[in-house]
Formats: sequence, C-alpha cells, structure tokens
Amino acid sequence: MRWDKAKIQSVLPHREPFLFIDEVIEVEGTERIVAATYLREEASYFKGHFPGNPVMPGVLIIEAMAQASVILFSLDRPEVAAGHPDYYLGKVKSEFLAPAYPGDKLIVESRKVKFLDNAAITETVVKVDERVIAKANLIFSIQKK
Amino acid sequence: MSKNYEEEIRNMVSDILEIPAEKLTPDADFFRDLNIDSLKAIEIVAAFEKKYRIIIPEQDIPKIRNLRQVVEYTAPLKKETHI
Repeated sequence: MRWDKAKIQSVLPHREPFLFIDEVIEVEGTERIVAATYLREEASYFKGHFPGNPVMPGVLIIEAMAQASVILFSLDRPEVAAGHPDYYLGKVKSEFLAPAYPGDKLIVESRKVKFLDNAAITETVVKVDERVIAKANLIFSIQKK
Repeated sequence: MSKNYEEEIRNMVSDILEIPAEKLTPDADFFRDLNIDSLKAIEIVAAFEKKYRIIIPEQDIPKIRNLRQVVEYTAPLKKETHI
C-alpha cells in the first residue's frame, strides 16, 4: 500500500522544506515500512553543503530515518498518533557508509524494535540503488499534548 | 536466584544508564533516585527482551521500579525460555 504526500502529512507534523519523506512504498504490518525521498538539486541544503560539491548532510539523512520511524510508529499506535503528539529524537547510534548526492533516490527502511505509548526504538537503513549508505538505531520519545 | 544473574542484570542496567554498578543498589528507585526517563526505560526493556528472548508487557513496565524488582520479574521468564 503506497502513501502519497497528503497521507504522510496527516501523520507527520513536518512540512517543506523539512519534510524528508516523499512517499511510502511498502508497509509490512506494523513491523516495517519502506519510504522514498527524492533529493532535488534545488534543495537549499545543497547550496551550502557544499558549494560546488553538493552532498546531503548526514543529519538530514537521520531526519529522514526519524520521519519514516514516526510513520511506522503511527501504524503501531494509531490511537496515540491520532492525538498528534510531539516526537523528540533522544538517542541515535548511526553509521554512514557512502554519500548521497542531488538526484539520488533514498530508500529509507524502518523496522520496529520496541514501541511503547511514550517511547520507541527503531532500526533503520538507507539505500541508494540497493547500496546501503547509512544505518541507525533511533530512540525517540512521544509526548502527548 | 543466582548471584551471577543478579550481577549480569546490574551490569546491563549500569551500562545503559552509564552509571557505576555500585550506585545501582537493589532498592534504588529508577525514576525517583536514578532519574530514568522514558527513553532509558525503553532501552532497558528492549535490551532485556533481546538478551533473554522474553516479552515484557507494557502494563508491567511501571511496576518494575528497582533492580530487585527487575531480577524478581525477569528470572522466571528467563527460566521458561529454557524449558
């Protein structure tokens, strides 16, 4: 089941230019999702990171992983997500294996490790053309409003 | 209950909380005395579940508030997985 931008925005509070999930392309129950992010040449972060040598900042790759993880959380805990809580990234253990460039399509996979109503852990992997370019273990909290 | 298991639990929790094992007395309250937040709590729960291949139901988590209770709660579950 694919998710378009409208459905993604019904779950994520993020908006342009800080929305880093363009579509959800695969959903495996509440255990795993696969999302896609298209790196547009005109994205503002490429202008300064770096002039003449645009590379996607690693922190923004982590942001894409976190946003995919929030979507997965919303599938597991729809009653919590319905209240549009705040999501705070608390701990990240990451590894970057290759750079991502303008024009790349990031495939962001997020897998559930443990979800509670007020905290969550996911394992995430980002690929470009089947090559793993980053991995991270994310722990985030969920604060009801 | 074996001393080894208690020690194992103490070291595991101490690693996650990044506090010396000697500060983790059996009755020190995780939330009141050690300032554990929801992120540390889920980290501890996930580590136990992974290491001992057990599932700790969400409703039980608030009841496990110190090291003694962790040992008492997890030891029987751990035993069951070895039957």
